[in-house]
Amino acid sequence: MNVKQVFSVTLALLLTLFFGAANLSAAEKQAETIDELVAMFDNSKCMECHEETHSEWKGSWHSRAVISSLKGMHNFIAIGLAKEWDTPLTKAQVMKCLDCHAPTVKYASEKLAVDIGNMIVTAHKMKGTKKGDAAKKELAKLNVGCLSCHNIKAGAVARGLHGEPTPGMIYGPTGADAEDGHETEELVDITRASFCMQCHGKYKAADGETIQCNTLSGSYQNTYIAQGGSQTCQDCHMKKGHTFPGGHDLDIVTEGLGLQVEIIPYGHLPGTLKKKLKEEKKWIPSAVVNVFVENKTGHRVPDG
Amino acid sequence: MVLDVTAKNLDEKDPKKQLLFSDQKVWWEIGKDLHGRMRYGAWQIKEIVDLTLQPMETRKERFLMNFDTDIETVEIEVKLSYFISGKKGDVIHSEKKTFEYDFD
Repeated sequence: MNVKQVFSVTLALLLTLFFGAANLSAAEKQAETIDELVAMFDNSKCMECHEETHSEWKGSWHSRAVISSLKGMHNFIAIGLAKEWDTPLTKAQVMKCLDCHAPTVKYASEKLAVDIGNMIVTAHKMKGTKKGDAAKKELAKLNVGCLSCHNIKAGAVARGLHGEPTPGMIYGPTGADAEDGHETEELVDITRASFCMQCHGKYKAADGETIQCNTLSGSYQNTYIAQGGSQTCQDCHMKKGHTFPGGHDLDIVTEGLGLQVEIIPYGHLPGTLKKKLKEEKKWIPSAVVNVFVENKTGHRVPDG
Repeated sequence: MVLDVTAKNLDEKDPKKQLLFSDQKVWWEIGKDLHGRMRYGAWQIKEIVDLTLQPMETRKERFLMNFDTDIETVEIEVKLSYFISGKKGDVIHSEKKTFEYDFD
């Protein structure tokens, strides 16, 4: 090998090392503040082209997935960890809630994740005070945003197949070209029930702990699918687009439940009841009411 | 989810005395920890007793009511309510029927 060859090989090795490290740092960049985290996964950029979808999402419970669940998360941190388990608050523990309620926190530093956990406690415990409201205002920046589903969680059901998400890539059902907006990749996973079931079911944390926020997916798989049902979560819960109507939406609840009533008045035979009546020899005004309550959904009711 | 069935005596003017019959059916779940104690925290619940209405299931409930012999005008109401939380419930479906008894 001459000097020129040695130089070429060395340069190639250095370039590989440099760009490899750069990619790694982009994928593993850890935010130190909530604003930094929000900037890394900025939903407002999506709004520029997807205004209607963004507006639907803004009205959904996904857009307030943290602040709408403060009580439960507070109880986990302040009672579960602090008292019942006698376990310190760490990012791994916080992620037992936030991996679903704010998936971007995966990219927060250990310190920021713990700070967010403490803010959850403050926001709930000091609700209505200046400090509590300030914490809630900060936490409102965290949610299940566009990139939570279209990037971070998109391929998580088949992580072995898809690997970690590419930073900045938008994964969607069609992979339609977004021109200069962003890179797009088709990923059918996002159209499947198993995609939603990552969070809307029994959750298994990294350390094996099971969290039963709801068990929709259990009845979906074990009862609905087992009886031949074939609709996906998205078939019903995306009928109103990215508003993801559920138990809070009376239209979808009404659609999912059936009630049929038969009221049959009749005269009961005198002298045949143990009940004390005003006149024992008179016909007894009576009625039979038959009620048929139907669950037309793909999961048990109530749940969620 | 709650099913309420009531029967009222419409000839009675005092609303507090109108109720002749009431019954209720509730669908819900009981979350239990590993010691079999009822729990609400998602991190505490490891098993459930499932008292919900299962998908594709139609449950038939029958209510038999016998009123006193001087009752003539009755209103029967059936209401199905969905509770998004323990505190907030909405009536999803309801049906009401009024009829008179005349055995003379």
